[in-house]
Amino acid sequence: MRQRYGGSPLHLAAHAVAFALAGWAILQLADVRRADNVLAWFVAALLLHDLVVLPFYSLIDRIAAAATPGTAVNHVRVPAAFSALLLAVWSPTILGLNDASFGRVAGFTREGVFVHWLWLTAALFAGSAAVWLLRARRSAPDRR
Amino acid sequence: MVRVPGLRRPPGPFRPEFWRSPLRGPWLTSVLGSLLLAGLVLVVATGFASHAAYAPELGRNGIVDPSRDLPLTFDWPTSPVWLYAATQGLHVILGIALVPLMLAKLWSVFPRLFAWPPVRSPAQAVERASLALLVGGVAFQFVTGIVNAQVYYPFRFNFVVAHYYGAVVFTAALLAHVAVKLPTVRRAYRERGVLAPLREDLAHTRPEPSDPDGGLAPVAPAEPTLSRRGLLAFAAGGSGLLLVTTAGQAIGGPLRKLALLSPRGTQPGRGPNGFQVNKTARAAGIRPERTGAGWRLEVAGGASPLALSRADLLALPQRTESLPIACVEGWSTTQSWTGVQLAELARMIGAEGRPLRVESLQPRGVLREATLTADQVTDERSLLALRVNGVDLSLDHGFPARVVVPALPGVHCTKWVARMTFVAS
Repeated sequence: MRQRYGGSPLHLAAHAVAFALAGWAILQLADVRRADNVLAWFVAALLLHDLVVLPFYSLIDRIAAAATPGTAVNHVRVPAAFSALLLAVWSPTILGLNDASFGRVAGFTREGVFVHWLWLTAALFAGSAAVWLLRARRSAPDRR
Repeated sequence: MVRVPGLRRPPGPFRPEFWRSPLRGPWLTSVLGSLLLAGLVLVVATGFASHAAYAPELGRNGIVDPSRDLPLTFDWPTSPVWLYAATQGLHVILGIALVPLMLAKLWSVFPRLFAWPPVRSPAQAVERASLALLVGGVAFQFVTGIVNAQVYYPFRFNFVVAHYYGAVVFTAALLAHVAVKLPTVRRAYRERGVLAPLREDLAHTRPEPSDPDGGLAPVAPAEPTLSRRGLLAFAAGGSGLLLVTTAGQAIGGPLRKLALLSPRGTQPGRGPNGFQVNKTARAAGIRPERTGAGWRLEVAGGASPLALSRADLLALPQRTESLPIACVEGWSTTQSWTGVQLAELARMIGAEGRPLRVESLQPRGVLREATLTADQVTDERSLLALRVNGVDLSLDHGFPARVVVPALPGVHCTKWVARMTFVAS
């Protein structure tokens, strides 16, 4: 079997169980309202990561690494990635996309979240620059 | 071996030398996978726990059709009172904090997406199909969960139903993935040590030796700009940042202010009724005139039905309990509630030890009614609250009367209660 299948019996058994369970859930989903939209979001989420998010940040990272000497790129990489991460996760609130839907149920909208994000971004870059300066000073040759 | 004649390896990412990061390799993926798995086990467990906490088999509680549900529900306890606040806070906050780790894990295995030939054996075809469910599932669950936690609905399907079945698809694919990858992880730890590579600083960071299955360790590595421990610290730092800026919405108190980017990271109003509202009276379609002096609470299901005014209820023995309102969106707020014990109402009508269906004045919506288990009704801390923090409930917090039950999901603590019916168990 290993010859024909190309994997162990455990491999086959684990996937048989997984596909049975996942297949059952997919069948249930096929009957819900707007099942087409569920499928669209499932595929879009997959493609968004694999074809947009990862290639995009890899490209930016390559450009940044080529433009900065040695390990200095890390002092841009880390704050930029953290800032992007905060924006990605909280974008509905930061960009006010949820103002209508959240405001309707909660009775208020939170003001100033975009400014909070800007401040956090500034603090991340400032902290990173401070660490870079400290490291540069420590490793600089004695100038006396 | 499937060989398609004339099919040549395309250029770019399909060539091994395209992937240059010196950090990728079985050990790095094993570590990222192990950490992610530990977190995901908690997120998945608390997610299914939340499903059970709604007692979907009772009355109309089930948003997912109970006849099309897995037999995974159990009687949700009422102690400790912060149980649902903790499990659901963990679900949402840990889920958000795992985003960087998940991105790092996907980055570490990305070259394998471009394996060539795309299918070498039936086993590999099966595995790649399950990986499509795994990666699509994790992306779908994270995106839908994160936007739901911010009450943002860019999609047209019902969130609860899609997130539930999506979790089943994802969990099934994850189980298979863990089962088939465990030997690879163990081999990586055996050959390189579990923690030993963490001792290597940048100067000692070398590519991992080429792996037999191929595709992870680079054949043409670039110079490293980051050590492996640096990369792990980078991912963990991102997780920590998200954790610190999110956790306050569940922990509350002064920490709430640290949830700088969350819509629930603030106290929206002033005074005893100034705490967070899940759904305002206006959004629920409550007409204020129906909550005035003419309001009566109908209590049925016992010997003879009762119709109690707010004054009647205030004349009954009052009890004060400090209980959290914990939302499925992962925020919670603990307040001091005063009102009549649900058990007292059961005694009055002679319907002790039975489940209770609670209906709201809210005219529409799946959550306009909720059925409580007999245990929840019997718990001495379960209240029909009339007052909060020493004053009358505000309209947005459920005036004239609302249910507050320990460890129960917030939306089942029905507001603007109109009718309570003790039902057969």
